[in-house]
Amino acid sequence: MKYIIIIGCGKTGKNLALELSKENNVVVIDKSLRNLDSLGDDFNGKKIWADALDINTLEKAEAKGASAVYLLTGNDNINLVVGKVIKRKYGVKKVILQVDDAMKKKIFKEEGLTIVNRTYLIAEVLKKCI
Amino acid sequence: MYIVIAGAGRLGLILGKKLKEDNHQVCLIDKSETLCNKLASEIQDVLIIRGDATYPDILQQAKIEKADVCVSATSTDEDNIIICYLAKELFGVKRTVARVNDPKHIPLYKYMEVDNPVDSTSIIARVVEEEASFTDVMSLLSIKKGRLSIVRIDIPQTSPVANKALKDISLPHNSVLVSILRGPDIIIPYGSTVILPGDEVIAAALIDVEKELLKALIGKI
Repeated sequence: MKYIIIIGCGKTGKNLALELSKENNVVVIDKSLRNLDSLGDDFNGKKIWADALDINTLEKAEAKGASAVYLLTGNDNINLVVGKVIKRKYGVKKVILQVDDAMKKKIFKEEGLTIVNRTYLIAEVLKKCI
Repeated sequence: MYIVIAGAGRLGLILGKKLKEDNHQVCLIDKSETLCNKLASEIQDVLIIRGDATYPDILQQAKIEKADVCVSATSTDEDNIIICYLAKELFGVKRTVARVNDPKHIPLYKYMEVDNPVDSTSIIARVVEEEASFTDVMSLLSIKKGRLSIVRIDIPQTSPVANKALKDISLPHNSVLVSILRGPDIIIPYGSTVILPGDEVIAAALIDVEKELLKALIGKI
Protein backbone atom coordinates (compact mmCIF):
# COMPACT_ATOMS: atom_id res chain seq x y z
CA MET A 1 0.00 0.00 0.00
CA LYS A 2 1.36 3.36 -1.03
CA TYR A 3 0.91 6.64 0.77
CA ILE A 4 -0.46 9.15 -1.75
CA ILE A 5 -1.37 12.81 -1.26
CA ILE A 6 -3.80 14.53 -3.60
CA ILE A 7 -3.98 18.32 -3.41
CA GLY A 8 -7.09 19.78 -5.01
CA CYS A 9 -10.38 17.91 -4.96
CA GLY A 10 -12.15 19.12 -8.07
CA LYS A 11 -13.48 16.67 -10.65
CA THR A 12 -10.07 15.20 -11.49
CA GLY A 13 -8.83 15.09 -7.90
CA LYS A 14 -12.04 13.51 -6.68
CA ASN A 15 -12.09 10.75 -9.29
CA LEU A 16 -8.43 9.98 -8.76
CA ALA A 17 -8.87 9.92 -4.97
CA LEU A 18 -11.80 7.51 -5.14
CA GLU A 19 -9.95 5.28 -7.57
CA LEU A 20 -6.57 5.24 -5.77
CA SER A 21 -8.05 4.87 -2.28
CA LYS A 22 -9.28 1.39 -3.14
CA GLU A 23 -5.75 0.07 -2.94
CA ASN A 24 -3.71 2.81 -1.32
CA ASN A 25 -3.51 5.04 1.68
CA VAL A 26 -4.82 8.37 0.32
CA VAL A 27 -4.95 11.87 1.83
CA VAL A 28 -6.89 14.59 0.05
CA ILE A 29 -6.25 18.30 0.74
CA ASP A 30 -8.60 21.06 -0.36
CA LYS A 31 -9.54 24.47 0.99
CA SER A 32 -13.18 23.98 0.12
CA LEU A 33 -15.27 21.85 2.46
CA ARG A 34 -17.80 21.27 -0.27
CA ASN A 35 -15.16 19.73 -2.51
CA LEU A 36 -14.05 17.41 0.27
CA ASP A 37 -17.65 16.43 1.04
CA SER A 38 -18.13 15.54 -2.62
CA LEU A 39 -15.94 12.48 -2.01
CA GLY A 40 -18.96 10.88 -0.36
CA ASP A 41 -19.20 8.20 2.30
CA ASP A 42 -17.44 5.52 0.28
CA PHE A 43 -14.10 7.29 0.39
CA ASN A 44 -11.94 5.58 3.00
CA GLY A 45 -8.97 7.95 2.96
CA LYS A 46 -8.18 11.00 5.07
CA LYS A 47 -9.41 14.51 4.29
CA ILE A 48 -7.59 17.69 5.24
CA TRP A 49 -9.47 20.95 4.97
CA ALA A 50 -6.67 23.51 4.60
CA ASP A 51 -4.59 25.83 2.43
CA ALA A 52 -1.84 23.96 0.57
CA LEU A 53 0.32 27.10 0.40
CA ASP A 54 0.67 26.93 4.19
CA ILE A 55 3.69 24.80 5.04
CA ASN A 56 1.90 23.54 8.18
CA THR A 57 -0.68 21.85 5.97
CA LEU A 58 2.05 19.95 4.14
CA GLU A 59 3.60 18.99 7.50
CA LYS A 60 0.23 17.84 8.80
CA ALA A 61 -0.26 15.70 5.70
CA GLU A 62 3.19 14.18 6.36
CA ALA A 63 4.36 15.01 2.87
CA LYS A 64 7.82 13.69 3.73
CA GLY A 65 6.58 10.13 3.86
CA ALA A 66 4.53 10.21 0.66
CA SER A 67 5.39 7.96 -2.28
CA ALA A 68 3.54 10.29 -4.62
CA VAL A 69 1.90 13.71 -4.52
CA TYR A 70 -0.63 14.90 -7.09
CA LEU A 71 -1.30 18.61 -7.57
CA LEU A 72 -4.69 19.16 -9.14
CA THR A 73 -5.95 22.48 -7.78
CA GLY A 74 -6.92 23.87 -11.16
CA ASN A 75 -4.52 26.76 -10.64
CA ASP A 76 -1.24 26.36 -12.55
CA ASN A 77 0.70 28.66 -10.27
CA ILE A 78 -0.39 26.97 -7.03
CA ASN A 79 0.38 23.57 -8.52
CA LEU A 80 3.83 24.72 -9.61
CA VAL A 81 4.80 26.44 -6.35
CA VAL A 82 3.58 23.68 -4.06
CA GLY A 83 4.91 20.97 -6.38
CA LYS A 84 8.40 22.49 -6.42
CA VAL A 85 8.44 22.97 -2.66
CA ILE A 86 7.33 19.38 -2.03
CA LYS A 87 10.10 18.17 -4.31
CA ARG A 88 12.75 20.44 -2.78
CA LYS A 89 11.86 20.26 0.88
CA TYR A 90 10.51 16.72 1.25
CA GLY A 91 12.25 14.98 -1.64
CA VAL A 92 9.10 13.10 -2.65
CA LYS A 93 10.04 10.76 -5.52
CA LYS A 94 6.97 11.26 -7.68
CA VAL A 95 5.34 14.65 -7.90
CA ILE A 96 2.67 14.91 -10.55
CA LEU A 97 1.14 18.25 -11.43
CA GLN A 98 -1.46 19.49 -13.76
CA VAL A 99 -0.32 22.59 -15.61
CA ASP A 100 -2.44 23.80 -18.49
CA ASP A 101 -0.06 26.35 -19.94
CA ALA A 102 2.35 24.71 -22.37
CA MET A 103 5.07 27.32 -21.90
CA LYS A 104 5.09 27.00 -18.12
CA LYS A 105 5.17 23.24 -18.53
CA LYS A 106 8.41 23.60 -20.48
CA ILE A 107 10.05 26.06 -18.10
CA PHE A 108 9.31 24.18 -14.93
CA LYS A 109 10.29 20.79 -16.27
CA GLU A 110 12.73 19.07 -13.91
CA GLU A 111 13.63 15.57 -12.90
CA GLY A 112 11.01 13.95 -10.74
CA LEU A 113 8.28 16.41 -11.67
CA THR A 114 5.72 14.97 -14.05
CA ILE A 115 3.80 17.80 -15.60
CA VAL A 116 0.50 16.89 -17.23
CA ASN A 117 -1.25 19.18 -19.68
CA ARG A 118 -4.93 18.37 -19.99
CA THR A 119 -5.55 20.00 -23.36
CA TYR A 120 -2.61 18.17 -24.87
CA LEU A 121 -3.82 14.85 -23.49
CA ILE A 122 -7.33 15.30 -24.85
CA ALA A 123 -5.96 16.28 -28.24
CA GLU A 124 -3.85 13.12 -28.27
CA VAL A 125 -6.88 10.96 -27.46
CA LEU A 126 -9.00 12.73 -30.07
CA LYS A 127 -6.30 12.18 -32.66
CA LYS A 128 -6.43 8.45 -32.04
CA CYS A 129 -10.18 8.34 -32.61
CA ILE A 130 -9.89 8.48 -36.38
CA MET B 1 17.84 51.71 -11.96
CA TYR B 2 15.24 49.89 -14.00
CA ILE B 3 12.49 48.38 -11.87
CA VAL B 4 9.68 46.14 -13.05
CA ILE B 5 6.61 46.07 -10.83
CA ALA B 6 4.02 43.33 -11.32
CA GLY B 7 0.60 44.30 -9.98
CA ALA B 8 -0.48 47.93 -10.23
CA GLY B 9 -2.94 47.91 -7.34
CA ARG B 10 -2.62 50.46 -4.54
CA LEU B 11 0.80 49.22 -3.45
CA GLY B 12 2.26 48.73 -6.92
CA LEU B 13 1.05 52.12 -8.07
CA ILE B 14 2.28 54.12 -5.08
CA LEU B 15 5.63 52.37 -5.32
CA GLY B 16 5.84 53.00 -9.05
CA LYS B 17 5.14 56.72 -8.63
CA LYS B 18 7.68 57.04 -5.82
CA LEU B 19 10.41 55.29 -7.78
CA LYS B 20 9.63 57.47 -10.79
CA GLU B 21 9.98 60.60 -8.62
CA ASP B 22 13.40 59.33 -7.57
CA ASN B 23 14.34 59.18 -11.24
CA HIS B 24 14.26 55.43 -11.65
CA GLN B 25 12.93 53.83 -14.79
CA VAL B 26 9.73 52.00 -14.00
CA CYS B 27 7.57 49.42 -15.74
CA LEU B 28 4.14 48.46 -14.36
CA ILE B 29 2.39 45.23 -15.34
CA ASP B 30 -1.25 44.55 -14.55
CA LYS B 31 -3.93 42.12 -15.69
CA SER B 32 -6.71 44.67 -15.83
CA GLU B 33 -7.21 46.44 -19.13
CA THR B 34 -9.35 49.18 -17.57
CA LEU B 35 -6.68 49.91 -14.99
CA CYS B 36 -3.91 49.94 -17.58
CA ASN B 37 -5.80 52.38 -19.80
CA LYS B 38 -6.43 54.63 -16.82
CA LEU B 39 -2.77 54.52 -15.80
CA ALA B 40 -1.60 55.21 -19.33
CA SER B 41 -3.57 58.45 -19.40
CA GLU B 42 -2.58 59.46 -15.87
CA ILE B 43 1.14 58.87 -15.58
CA GLN B 44 3.89 59.70 -17.99
CA ASP B 45 7.22 58.06 -18.68
CA VAL B 46 6.24 54.77 -17.13
CA LEU B 47 6.04 51.69 -19.31
CA ILE B 48 2.66 50.05 -18.78
CA ILE B 49 1.98 46.49 -19.87
CA ARG B 50 -1.35 44.75 -19.71
CA GLY B 51 -1.10 41.05 -19.03
CA ASP B 52 -0.58 38.24 -16.57
CA ALA B 53 2.98 38.58 -15.32
CA THR B 54 3.15 34.91 -14.40
CA TYR B 55 3.59 34.30 -18.14
CA PRO B 56 7.18 34.65 -19.39
CA ASP B 57 6.15 36.39 -22.63
CA ILE B 58 4.59 39.23 -20.62
CA LEU B 59 7.74 39.59 -18.54
CA GLN B 60 9.72 39.63 -21.74
CA GLN B 61 7.58 42.49 -23.07
CA ALA B 62 8.52 44.36 -19.90
CA LYS B 63 12.19 43.81 -20.82
CA ILE B 64 12.67 42.18 -17.47
CA GLU B 65 16.09 40.86 -18.43
CA LYS B 66 17.29 44.45 -18.17
CA ALA B 67 15.71 45.03 -14.75
CA ASP B 68 17.83 45.61 -11.66
CA VAL B 69 14.94 44.70 -9.42
CA CYS B 70 11.67 42.85 -9.91
CA VAL B 71 8.91 43.71 -7.44
CA SER B 72 5.88 41.48 -7.34
CA ALA B 73 3.01 43.25 -5.61
CA THR B 74 -0.07 41.30 -6.69
CA SER B 75 -2.68 40.23 -4.16
CA THR B 76 -2.06 36.54 -4.85
CA ASP B 77 0.87 34.81 -3.18
CA GLU B 78 1.30 31.97 -5.67
CA ASP B 79 1.47 34.53 -8.49
CA ASN B 80 4.06 36.62 -6.65
CA ILE B 81 6.22 33.56 -6.08
CA ILE B 82 6.00 32.44 -9.73
CA ILE B 83 6.77 35.95 -11.00
CA CYS B 84 9.88 36.28 -8.82
CA TYR B 85 10.95 32.75 -9.71
CA LEU B 86 10.69 33.42 -13.45
CA ALA B 87 12.42 36.79 -13.13
CA LYS B 88 15.33 35.16 -11.38
CA GLU B 89 15.67 31.73 -12.99
CA LEU B 90 14.66 32.55 -16.52
CA PHE B 91 15.71 36.17 -16.93
CA GLY B 92 18.56 36.44 -14.45
CA VAL B 93 17.19 39.36 -12.44
CA LYS B 94 19.51 39.84 -9.46
CA ARG B 95 17.05 41.03 -6.86
CA THR B 96 13.44 40.03 -6.33
CA VAL B 97 11.08 41.60 -3.82
CA ALA B 98 7.53 40.47 -3.16
CA ARG B 99 4.55 41.49 -1.14
CA VAL B 100 3.40 38.68 1.14
CA ASN B 101 -0.39 38.69 1.43
CA ASP B 102 -0.80 35.90 3.97
CA PRO B 103 2.07 35.54 6.49
CA LYS B 104 1.41 31.78 6.59
CA HIS B 105 2.80 31.61 3.06
CA ILE B 106 6.24 33.06 3.96
CA PRO B 107 8.03 29.68 4.10
CA LEU B 108 7.04 29.02 0.49
CA TYR B 109 8.48 32.37 -0.57
CA LYS B 110 11.72 31.33 1.11
CA TYR B 111 11.83 27.86 -0.45
CA MET B 112 11.26 29.41 -3.86
CA GLU B 113 14.15 31.80 -3.22
CA VAL B 114 12.38 35.13 -3.34
CA ASP B 115 15.12 37.49 -2.09
CA ASN B 116 12.96 39.75 -0.04
CA PRO B 117 9.43 38.74 0.92
CA VAL B 118 7.85 41.76 2.62
CA ASP B 119 5.20 40.75 5.10
CA SER B 120 3.01 43.85 5.20
CA THR B 121 0.43 42.32 7.51
CA SER B 122 2.94 41.70 10.30
CA ILE B 123 4.59 45.09 9.81
CA ILE B 124 1.23 46.85 10.12
CA ALA B 125 0.23 44.71 13.09
CA ARG B 126 3.43 45.76 14.86
CA VAL B 127 2.83 49.43 14.15
CA VAL B 128 -0.78 49.24 15.29
CA GLU B 129 0.24 47.40 18.44
CA GLU B 130 2.75 50.12 19.19
CA GLU B 131 0.25 52.87 18.63
CA ALA B 132 -2.30 51.13 20.78
CA SER B 133 -0.09 50.39 23.75
CA PHE B 134 1.92 53.57 24.29
CA THR B 135 0.00 56.79 24.19
CA ASP B 136 2.92 59.05 25.02
CA VAL B 137 5.15 57.42 22.42
CA MET B 138 4.82 57.80 18.71
CA SER B 139 6.72 55.82 16.14
CA LEU B 140 7.93 58.27 13.52
CA LEU B 141 9.82 56.05 11.17
CA SER B 142 10.82 52.47 10.92
CA ILE B 143 13.78 51.32 8.90
CA LYS B 144 14.88 47.89 7.70
CA LYS B 145 11.48 46.28 8.11
CA GLY B 146 10.99 47.80 11.54
CA ARG B 147 14.31 46.71 13.03
CA LEU B 148 15.37 50.29 13.64
CA SER B 149 12.77 52.75 14.78
CA ILE B 150 12.76 56.46 15.33
CA VAL B 151 10.31 57.39 18.07
CA ARG B 152 8.96 60.51 19.70
CA ILE B 153 8.51 60.29 23.44
CA ASP B 154 6.76 62.82 25.69
CA ILE B 155 8.68 63.20 28.94
CA PRO B 156 6.20 63.10 31.86
CA GLN B 157 6.59 64.80 35.29
CA THR B 158 7.28 61.39 36.82
CA SER B 159 10.02 60.50 34.37
CA PRO B 160 13.19 59.11 36.00
CA VAL B 161 15.28 61.32 33.68
CA ALA B 162 13.39 64.59 34.25
CA ASN B 163 15.69 67.44 35.32
CA LYS B 164 18.78 65.32 34.75
CA ALA B 165 21.67 66.04 32.43
CA LEU B 166 22.16 63.60 29.60
CA LYS B 167 25.56 62.54 30.90
CA ASP B 168 23.98 61.34 34.15
CA ILE B 169 21.42 59.18 32.42
CA SER B 170 22.05 55.63 31.37
CA LEU B 171 20.29 54.55 28.21
CA PRO B 172 20.28 51.02 26.83
CA HIS B 173 22.90 50.03 24.27
CA ASN B 174 21.87 50.47 20.65
CA SER B 175 19.74 53.51 21.42
CA VAL B 176 20.49 57.20 21.12
CA LEU B 177 18.73 60.51 21.76
CA VAL B 178 18.62 62.43 18.51
CA SER B 179 17.01 65.66 19.58
CA ILE B 180 14.82 67.40 22.12
CA LEU B 181 11.80 69.46 21.11
CA ARG B 182 11.07 72.10 23.74
CA GLY B 183 8.27 74.48 22.79
CA PRO B 184 9.45 76.18 19.61
CA ASP B 185 13.09 75.12 20.08
CA ILE B 186 14.85 72.15 18.60
CA ILE B 187 17.82 71.11 20.70
CA ILE B 188 20.54 68.75 19.55
CA PRO B 189 21.57 67.35 22.90
CA TYR B 190 25.07 67.19 24.40
CA GLY B 191 26.16 65.55 27.63
CA SER B 192 25.32 68.67 29.59
CA THR B 193 21.82 69.10 28.15
CA VAL B 194 19.15 68.76 30.84
CA ILE B 195 15.91 66.96 30.02
CA LEU B 196 12.82 68.74 31.37
CA PRO B 197 9.32 67.40 31.94
CA GLY B 198 7.16 68.29 28.95
CA ASP B 199 10.05 67.86 26.53
CA GLU B 200 9.47 65.78 23.46
CA VAL B 201 12.43 63.54 22.86
CA ILE B 202 13.28 62.05 19.48
CA ALA B 203 15.23 58.83 19.85
CA ALA B 204 16.51 56.08 17.60
CA ALA B 205 16.62 52.51 18.85
CA LEU B 206 16.89 48.97 17.61
CA ILE B 207 13.58 47.20 18.01
CA ASP B 208 14.77 44.83 20.75
CA VAL B 209 15.84 47.66 23.06
CA GLU B 210 12.85 49.90 22.38
CA LYS B 211 10.96 48.82 25.49
CA GLU B 212 14.07 49.27 27.64
CA LEU B 213 14.54 52.77 26.23
CA LEU B 214 10.95 53.66 27.04
CA LYS B 215 11.38 52.36 30.56
CA ALA B 216 14.48 54.52 30.99
CA LEU B 217 12.77 57.66 29.70
CA ILE B 218 9.21 57.28 30.97
CA GLY B 219 9.69 54.96 33.94
CA LYS B 220 6.89 52.59 33.03
CA ILE B 221 5.72 50.66 30.00
